[in-house]
Amino acid sequence: MMDKSIRVENSTKNIHAELRHLADSISQIIKGIRVAQEPIADSRNKVPQATEQLERVTQQTAMATHRVLDMVEAITGRDGEIETQMKELRRVLPSTYFRNNSRVKRIVERIGVNVSANQNDAYAIMDALQFQDITSQQVDHAISLLEQVENRLKDVMVGLQLDVSAESDVKRKERAYDPNAHFSSNSNEQSEVDKLLHNLTKEKQNN
Amino acid sequence: MPTEQITEKSDTTAKGIPKILVVDDSPTLVKFVSYSLKSSGYEVVGACDGMDALEKVSHLESDIDLVITDLNMPNIDGYELIATLRQNDKFAEIPIIILSSEEGDEDKQKGEKVGATSYLVKPFKSSVLLAEVARLLD
Repeated sequence: MMDKSIRVENSTKNIHAELRHLADSISQIIKGIRVAQEPIADSRNKVPQATEQLERVTQQTAMATHRVLDMVEAITGRDGEIETQMKELRRVLPSTYFRNNSRVKRIVERIGVNVSANQNDAYAIMDALQFQDITSQQVDHAISLLEQVENRLKDVMVGLQLDVSAESDVKRKERAYDPNAHFSSNSNEQSEVDKLLHNLTKEKQNN
Repeated sequence: MPTEQITEKSDTTAKGIPKILVVDDSPTLVKFVSYSLKSSGYEVVGACDGMDALEKVSHLESDIDLVITDLNMPNIDGYELIATLRQNDKFAEIPIIILSSEEGDEDKQKGEKVGATSYLVKPFKSSVLLAEVARLLD
């Protein structure tokens, strides 16, 4: 009888100790959640700032690219004018003029070569400016990933019953991008496309 | 950002100049392609997505001779645009070039299935685009 009473008393002590331990653990978890609340909320609030910053990068590179495009357009326009003026010069001068003035002829020919080289370079600059479109797609992809992180953090906050009142007031842009867009020399890729389309056309004709 | 309509005419008379519709949600690409085409004597109409393109072609007085379109665009994407255009008798036969950074065979086959005539991968050389346009309009 006595033994049984001692055993019950010991069990009760053990249960009390376990409950105290459990209470301590819960208290530690709550402290932990409180500690985590601020960084989680802070991280979530920083995502819209990061996306805004990235959008500004895209806007600024777009503006700069358009400016360069406008300038290249102006330069090639002037090159076109030079070509027209050279033609006019050839027209107004007597047909024998260049035959008798070989030095002037060489200078005029050299101007023509330079104008043509400028135009080719202008096209090369414009081709290279496509980087802006490709990088803006990459930035849009990065923004989309950040928005996913923001939503996950929101889910965590809701799950932990933390304050999620601070909603982002940034108006989200509808994004359409190729996540794999990259800027590289693609002559091989284009030849593969040509081959594919050629084969498809052939198949169609055979059918 | 809505793309401004780019309707530029070359020095020659508008009659007989091929009119090309350029559709891309990147204003840089529309500007770049438009400039390349304009400098080769084509008339260009720019649109920022499929919906904008359909709206613009419905308001144009003269016909479009060729369409150059991106694939990834908001509202109406390139595939839907091509499929919609192909359903209209006016656009059933005109050449349509896809300009896209998507390189997968699936995209190319899908483009061909909906009615694209040609497919160019971004980034591309303007000389390649101009040669393709000239070939298709020939």
